[in-house]
Amino acid sequence: MYVLYRKLWRGIWSNKGQFFAMALVITIGISLYVAMSTTYSNLGYAQERFYDDNNFADHYFYVVRAPEGVGKQIAGIPGVEKVTARIQQDVAVIKEDGSRASARLTSYPLPLSGQVNSVALKQGRLFEAYPANGGAEALLDPAYLEANGLNLGEQVEIIAEGRQVPLTVVGTAIGPEFIYAIKDLSSMVPDPKTFGIFMIPLNQAQEVFNLPGQVNQILVVFAPGADIEAVVSQIEDLLSPYGNLASYPRKNQLSHSLLDSELTSGRIMAKFFPIIFLAIAASIQIILLRRMIRMQRSQIGIMKGLGVSNAAVLFHYCSYALAISAVGALTGSILGLLFSRSLNQLYATYFNLPNVEGFHFQIIMYSFILAASVGMAAGLSGSAPIVNINPAESMRAQPPGKSTQNILERFPFWWRRLSPLWKMSFRSVARNRMRTLVTVGGVVAAVSLLLISFFMNDAIDYMMKQYYQKEMLYHYQVRFDQPVLSSETLAISRLDGVNSVETFIEIPVKIHFKGRNVEDVVNGQAQGNQLKTPFDSEGNPMAIPEEGIILGEITARKLGAEVGDLITVETTFNRGAPMISELSVVSINRQLFGSVCYTSLSQANRLLHEADVITGCMLLVDPGRSAAIEAQLSEITGINSITSRQKEIDNITSLMGSSMLFVGIMIFFSLILGLAIIYNSIVMSYNERKKELASLLTLGFTHGEVSGLMLKDTLIQAVPGLIIGLPTGRWLAVFYISSVSTDMFTFPVIISPLSYVLSLLVGLGFILAGYWLATRGLSSLDMIEMSKYVD
Amino acid sequence: MAEAVLVHLQDVTKTYVMGEVTVEALKATNLDILAGEVLVILGPSGSGKSTLLNLIGGMDRVSSGELSFRQQALHLASNNQLTAYRRDHIGFVFQFYNLISDLTAWENVELAATLVDNPLSTAEVLEQVGLKERLDHFPAQLSGGEQQRISIARAIVKRPLILLCDEPTGALDYQTGKSILELLLDVNRRHGSTVVIVTHNAAIGAIGDRVVRMSSGRIAEIQVNAYRASPEGIEW
Repeated sequence: MYVLYRKLWRGIWSNKGQFFAMALVITIGISLYVAMSTTYSNLGYAQERFYDDNNFADHYFYVVRAPEGVGKQIAGIPGVEKVTARIQQDVAVIKEDGSRASARLTSYPLPLSGQVNSVALKQGRLFEAYPANGGAEALLDPAYLEANGLNLGEQVEIIAEGRQVPLTVVGTAIGPEFIYAIKDLSSMVPDPKTFGIFMIPLNQAQEVFNLPGQVNQILVVFAPGADIEAVVSQIEDLLSPYGNLASYPRKNQLSHSLLDSELTSGRIMAKFFPIIFLAIAASIQIILLRRMIRMQRSQIGIMKGLGVSNAAVLFHYCSYALAISAVGALTGSILGLLFSRSLNQLYATYFNLPNVEGFHFQIIMYSFILAASVGMAAGLSGSAPIVNINPAESMRAQPPGKSTQNILERFPFWWRRLSPLWKMSFRSVARNRMRTLVTVGGVVAAVSLLLISFFMNDAIDYMMKQYYQKEMLYHYQVRFDQPVLSSETLAISRLDGVNSVETFIEIPVKIHFKGRNVEDVVNGQAQGNQLKTPFDSEGNPMAIPEEGIILGEITARKLGAEVGDLITVETTFNRGAPMISELSVVSINRQLFGSVCYTSLSQANRLLHEADVITGCMLLVDPGRSAAIEAQLSEITGINSITSRQKEIDNITSLMGSSMLFVGIMIFFSLILGLAIIYNSIVMSYNERKKELASLLTLGFTHGEVSGLMLKDTLIQAVPGLIIGLPTGRWLAVFYISSVSTDMFTFPVIISPLSYVLSLLVGLGFILAGYWLATRGLSSLDMIEMSKYVD
Repeated sequence: MAEAVLVHLQDVTKTYVMGEVTVEALKATNLDILAGEVLVILGPSGSGKSTLLNLIGGMDRVSSGELSFRQQALHLASNNQLTAYRRDHIGFVFQFYNLISDLTAWENVELAATLVDNPLSTAEVLEQVGLKERLDHFPAQLSGGEQQRISIARAIVKRPLILLCDEPTGALDYQTGKSILELLLDVNRRHGSTVVIVTHNAAIGAIGDRVVRMSSGRIAEIQVNAYRASPEGIEW
């Protein structure tokens, strides 16, 4: 049947524009599938392997201090497989230039191997418990080392217990709990210049923090099949004498939670986007094949008459769809692998995870199977009418196309006012229901993808504006090592260039309500503070109550607490015994990341049975004096961290470039999808109506008027697509956000009016571009040839 | 019969280049088409009769020679001028009707009426062609003869000076064909339009004022009929 292959090849060649447009849509679908599946498989595998290799903890317990030996006691509890007891504490770092950074000083019992949350050495060597030349050795996370231009063998200076302690950097290492290394949820993105992970041996940490033989954190890996709830409860009971500050499972561990949410959203996208593209490609193929079969009806009849079997003819037409799939799968896989390399690199800038790389033959194989299935399904469904073609009948001329009343004709008042050209377009669109449906659906998909892409940009914009222009208005936020009297800030307020100082206290707490417990932070703001403002879910600023508490939305939801409820607050400061108070819920605030509860500074002090202590302050300064003030603040040893709002904004902005690239690619792909849909739809309509168009030219219509008829056809289908695309896009954005939201962060779907306008404009752009591409042949339409043509 | 010349052809030729073959479809042709006459162009397939019709109708351009309509040189006209010429002065009737399938009988005629400033009444024209009762039918719901009647109505609603008919009875049965010819003569009588009928059916020659016989791309003979026969009286 090689002659049929020749016919296939000629068919492809004569419809090369449509073939290329459809292959392009498949290419995009497959490339997205390959790129995203490869990247998220790599990320997932790398995460799994890294967790396994380093015994990533199932549960975390924080205490004020407990004897080291408590680890052994916990190891004896049935259901516990591994335990590591260690010290972890955030410390201030004094950099070489005198500026401040902060570090999460994490200690490790030696030998490291087999410990829970062990580390993987990247550079240099492991630290020693007792270095030959004295002092303490540390491993740093590679991002901090690189961002601060440090070299192995150099020293970093930390402040612990009011003392400056030098640590010698002997290597870099990464650990499973620091894959996404941010200080807390309010940081949004890693800032390795000002926050690092410093790793030292446990014995050195005990010396640095003056905790001989003591630990403040216990990490546990459960045995398979353990009754986790019961085991956790036993461990909490065992630790209660030591000031049980916090206890949470792996899913609430900061780095893990963020990586997991990235994986979840990525896996959703890896299915969602390719499905849209492949479904639309399949739909266009079906209508194209049906049209081809209608046009080649007599040829099919001749083939059948000659004795070619139904199956062979069916396969011949299916081959057209399969050829499109083959081209799409091949180019899509190559492009997908190239994209996945870029995506892997993008993730490498965010995640400290080894071996995020690789080529998965299985994914390539699936991509071919996927493309072939799309081709086969479209081919079989499109070619099905072949079976019913009777050789004798097929050689007779087909009756002229039937036209029926469309919905607009039920309104004669309006219908009568339409020109015959508009009537032609409306009837043609109504007659070709399947094609109209696919075109409208395709435009809806393209416009909604555009809106989602623009929404991603809006989301970042909203986040930045809400957080840095409404909630946080300070220039600097200073946190002290320990609670201090508010009068201690006098020295800061006297610094030259400091215009305003507002004090606050942050108290880690456990909130109890109706048998439920949630760990949170209470932020006590001094009366009249204006530099940090909570916002409600409607986006309105909230006043800090003198008494009672504003609960964070996520905490309120977890507790099931509402305004007016009385909740129990237990302080979990790692100094002193926990204090328990009852507070009334005054209102509920929405925080983009994590949860913060607000109250007045005096109320917060009452929680601690104190009168006038604070843990930090916020400053407004003369912009010209920023550097000098930062330098002067860095000299104050009691200060744990200095956060510059501007530096945070700059850091986030610099990291957003790569995300914008992704948004740009999505916009480009949506554009191609829209273009391919419109182009194919017009070409099909044009080919079917050539004779009628030629008749119009013969009657005396100009080329412009005939071309206008095609534009009317296009707009009747595309404009509803544009309009429906906007709410669909919004709905998809809501669906996407709800599927990636976690306990730790959620996000309101706010789409700017500009994004709607841009989606419409880009949509209109691809409609007009597709129309222009498809109607170029109109000027060469042969009136004479067409006047003789018999359907 | 009025003597004013509407269309003048002088040494008109038409050649088509089809790949490596050059086909001389029309050789040095001279012809005047007169206002108000019924001209029948007869000839076998490939004799050049349709080529001649297409050139007269402004659907195609001459390869050499001069073609003018009322002193307007069509051989020099731009595409826009040819479109305006077709729009304002020409009505076409084709063998396969070439109606717009998505428009009803009424709308097909109305479509053409929208092209000119002073069209005939669509209703009257449809009544004249005998389709008053089937205005809301689509082409697919009409017989061949009825479709050809709409095609004629569509052509004449613009008040064309020349009605060009390419094998207007070619796809119709004997009786229907005759009724269509009758209708064409009626249009000529009522509106004074020049009617040019291209056909291979020699019997139809009798209904014209003049008969142009074509052979191998040339006008072999121009015959002037002493009187126009009624379509009822001719046989084929």
